[in-house]
Amino acid sequence: MAVLSLNGLSKRFGARLAVDAVSFEVQEREVFGLLGPNGSGKSTILRLVTGYLYPTSGTVRVAGVDVVHDGRAARERIGYVPEDSPLYGHMRVAEFLAFMGRLRGIKGQALSRAIDAAVERLAIGSVRGVIIERLSRGYRQRVSLAQAVLHEPELLVLDEPSNGLDPRQIIELRGLLRHLAQDCAVLVTSHILTEIERTADRAAILLDGRLLTVEKITRETATAPVPSRLETLFLELTQAKAI
Amino acid sequence: MSQVATLAAKEVRTLFTSPIAYAVIAVFVVLSGYTFTVSLIVSKQATLVHIFFQAAVQLILLVPLITMRQFAEERRSGTLEVLLTAPVREIDIVVAKFIACMVVLAVMTSLTLIYAAVLSAYGDPDWGPIYSGYVGLVMLGAALLSIGLMISALTTNQIVAAVVSLGLFGVLWAIDTLASLLPQPFENWLLGLSLLAHFTPFAVGAMYLSDFGFFLTVVLLGLFLTVRALARS
Repeated sequence: MAVLSLNGLSKRFGARLAVDAVSFEVQEREVFGLLGPNGSGKSTILRLVTGYLYPTSGTVRVAGVDVVHDGRAARERIGYVPEDSPLYGHMRVAEFLAFMGRLRGIKGQALSRAIDAAVERLAIGSVRGVIIERLSRGYRQRVSLAQAVLHEPELLVLDEPSNGLDPRQIIELRGLLRHLAQDCAVLVTSHILTEIERTADRAAILLDGRLLTVEKITRETATAPVPSRLETLFLELTQAKAI
Repeated sequence: MSQVATLAAKEVRTLFTSPIAYAVIAVFVVLSGYTFTVSLIVSKQATLVHIFFQAAVQLILLVPLITMRQFAEERRSGTLEVLLTAPVREIDIVVAKFIACMVVLAVMTSLTLIYAAVLSAYGDPDWGPIYSGYVGLVMLGAALLSIGLMISALTTNQIVAAVVSLGLFGVLWAIDTLASLLPQPFENWLLGLSLLAHFTPFAVGAMYLSDFGFFLTVVLLGLFLTVRALARS
């Protein structure tokens, strides 16, 4: 069953068509990557999926629930990490997680258990009592991921999660994403091809808001030293834009 | 309701984590204390009318500092996206921020109760105007907070939010001076919008339903427009 289903999704900002009739599905426990140059509509699609924006036309369904007509129920099924992992810097990590848990309707013992589980999954036990603004970028990313998985969502949506991370943190993030995908579907954007190749099961390539293709990724191509099939395809499809 | 309480608790803590709330409260108390002392020495009357009028002007100057970052900063830092993509309604977020700002307003005004206590200890004040004056201050403050929140929701720059709020508050406070230059019925229309015209009866001890209605309408309209400013598009 598809956890996420986009059907003819379009979004217009004034005269500009940011997303143009995009359709695809993400299955259970699948990591689905969205690739595209800057301004290709990746983040807009994520904001449409999470209900932060409403589509001009088309539909988004999360576990069968329409994001526009039953937004609250749809958002209960989603965990979302926006680009640059915005957090409340003055809060301590545990306090922030408790705040986000309560917003998601988790209370009492269930909240304590959910926080413990998220802290363990994201390996942030050592910074549990630390004020967020004092954390490194890598830990901030983990805290942001922890708030997104607190309620055990069916769909995890990540916007450029590797932005600003150092190589070691990027490698750790890859492992985390594969680990998190054992329990939910993951929709992730990146403009770094290798990140999508190494973490995603399938990837869609976007250009000027249009979906050009959806490719299945095999682990052999992901680790090949020569340009992979996905890299070659990306360069071919987005060549006009690059020029 | 529990989400409003969760959000309001977070907002109160955020406001009192920042030095802005303490600075605003301190300035408010020091200035009103100075006026209270001077007016008491000069007039030797057990009244707080001067305090109420000065406090109202101080609210016009200080409320923008409380409301400016409420939405502008959340929008700029991206945390508004985190809130709006959680299963939370826009109105919950707006009401929570309004409640938190009202807590700051309540602390500010309640600290001035000491002046009433001093009058009571050393004189025989007329309590009617004191009660109504405090009601008026709270109503005026609530109206200013709701307008300030609305403006904060329209921008990502908190300085812009503060300056625009201050300008609008100033216009609404003194609009009756402009009204006197206009022919009827425009004069009455503008007078109906004047914060000063609706606050004055409270400050001098008269409470009219029309003034309650005015401030309540401004509060509800401000909150409604703030929700609309946050609405998904």
